[in-house]
Amino acid sequence: MSGKATFLSLLYATQVKSGSDASDDFRFHADVDSLDEISEAFEQLMSGSFPDSATKEGMRGITFHLGYRRAGRGVLSRFRSRRWASGGSIALHFILVRDVEKEMSRFRLGSSFTNANLREVLESDAIAILVDSTKLGHRPEDGTVGPMDRYDTAVESLLSAAQRSRPRGGRRSIHPIVVFSKFDSVDPKALRAANLAGAPPDAKKTGPRSAYAEALLESSLPRTIERVRARDRDASSFAKPSYFFSSVRTEAASADRRAKIRLRRTNGGGWEPDYSADEYRALLERLWTIASNAGE
Amino acid sequence: MPCALLGDRASGKTTFLGLLYSAQVKYGTGVQDDFRFHAPIGSLNLMSAVYEGMKDGRFPSATLKEEITELGFIFGYLRKVVGKLPYYIRQQNWARPFSTLRFSAYDVSGEDIEEFIETGIASRPLIQQLLKSVVVVVLVDCSKMTTDIDTPAYKKMLRYDSTVAKLLVAFQTYKRQEYDRLKDSGVKAEAPRIYPAFVLSKFDTLKDDVLARLGLHRGFPENKRARKDYAEALLRVFVPQTLSQIRGGKIAGVSMDKAAYFLSWVRTEQHEGMEPVGQSKIVRTGFAPEGGGEPDFSYDEYVEFIEHFRDIAHKIPDEVLEAEKFQAQALARAA
Repeated sequence: MSGKATFLSLLYATQVKSGSDASDDFRFHADVDSLDEISEAFEQLMSGSFPDSATKEGMRGITFHLGYRRAGRGVLSRFRSRRWASGGSIALHFILVRDVEKEMSRFRLGSSFTNANLREVLESDAIAILVDSTKLGHRPEDGTVGPMDRYDTAVESLLSAAQRSRPRGGRRSIHPIVVFSKFDSVDPKALRAANLAGAPPDAKKTGPRSAYAEALLESSLPRTIERVRARDRDASSFAKPSYFFSSVRTEAASADRRAKIRLRRTNGGGWEPDYSADEYRALLERLWTIASNAGE
Repeated sequence: MPCALLGDRASGKTTFLGLLYSAQVKYGTGVQDDFRFHAPIGSLNLMSAVYEGMKDGRFPSATLKEEITELGFIFGYLRKVVGKLPYYIRQQNWARPFSTLRFSAYDVSGEDIEEFIETGIASRPLIQQLLKSVVVVVLVDCSKMTTDIDTPAYKKMLRYDSTVAKLLVAFQTYKRQEYDRLKDSGVKAEAPRIYPAFVLSKFDTLKDDVLARLGLHRGFPENKRARKDYAEALLRVFVPQTLSQIRGGKIAGVSMDKAAYFLSWVRTEQHEGMEPVGQSKIVRTGFAPEGGGEPDFSYDEYVEFIEHFRDIAHKIPDEVLEAEKFQAQALARAA
């Protein structure tokens, strides 16, 4: 329930918008299996609904191939598949870990049933950690288990396992990407408690943005943030993490209706979900950079 | 060379074919005689029945459409070199005077593509035809273009967009794999290229409020660039996945950049302040020495449509022959 399907659908919607835009400086191609899975969710988003359980269930792994028409982007990368004009293209393969707590628990026990997907995750270049913003800042005063404690433990052990799977002194880094999902529904008390403004700093201001995000994570995902921060101390294989904030405006649920996604008018006269499009565009750029550099 | 004509159910395919028939009858019987049109008897019967009905002011009936299972036609373009030869030689079959494109029209349905994606087997005629084609014509029904998100038309258009996008991506993947297979066999092949064309059908039914919201005027521009901009402004809103995957073809290693855009309309009788009861009646042109009593439709667009494929038809046979030659070589090597 962290919003993985919605996250991927919005990422797809961002690509559809950018890839059909008249400016023509971005193109993308989705593998046919991926398109089969994601287009259903896209239709639901564009009708004002969140992906339903059947759609979520059908979503296993999504592959996108991205290309930007920009000078100097055509780098040698093992991710590069085909050239597009002066630039290159990269492949992004998203592996969905359905229940990270369960998967990591199995993994720690050394179960032979460990999900094959999880093994792929441990080998990947980037790990996107979705943080459900509605659960931020809720720490029980009596010291019992908080709403994100188990998730924190699972993510921390996933990152440790990924780190261990890298050869010592190897050049391939793991890029942690933290996506705060449902950020529009974050509890204002959580922000106040961390002494933070209502909105995160602009994506270009990486320093203040990292400070903002980490202040939020310190109270809710302390083990995870500690693991990521340890990169400077023990020369771990983690690259500097990047942070994104996803939000979708909704119309509140009523007794006989689920919450609906609010749609807004686009410049071209159509509709799109009222979401943090700039964040998703910045995320795509970041993924592009990571994938481009991964094989250099 | 096979070409696929794709359209949603009730997207105006039969009317399009009837009007195309009408246009080719007029255009193909001109003095220039460098274009010919042929259709198998079943399709011809249907198209001529549609055409006759239109001359009576009627749109094709549902029964008529159900009578036929496959709709197809062939465009023939006089090859330039042959055109310079004496008439007698030109008429000989051995001279291969015409470059041809063989179109087949299909209803696009989700089941076709689902089966193909799940099994990887192209058992349905639509998929078989599509995989062989180098030209894909997509009909986009303007009567379903609405910005009212709570209407069935809006949802139908969303679904159609997903289905066509998936079909095109499956098509790109197949073409790419074929190309890679040839390359792996040591055959030097040209990078795959697909020629897409969009027909904005029932353009006359496009609502004023939709045009106004998109900042478009009613007339379709004549200038090629402006036509593209105009059509893409509509497609970007109503079939964005399809448009993005056509552009993304380059990323998949299959160029689909040479898209062309046409529109189709038939003028219907309008009664001021009144909604027509039942099917609206087609307006016909008046009788004149050069002909008349014809449906009043976007004839110039149909001529553009016919002419657009002339260069492609001349070019494709060589590519196809080359591909066939390469395939034969590859098979010989494998043996």
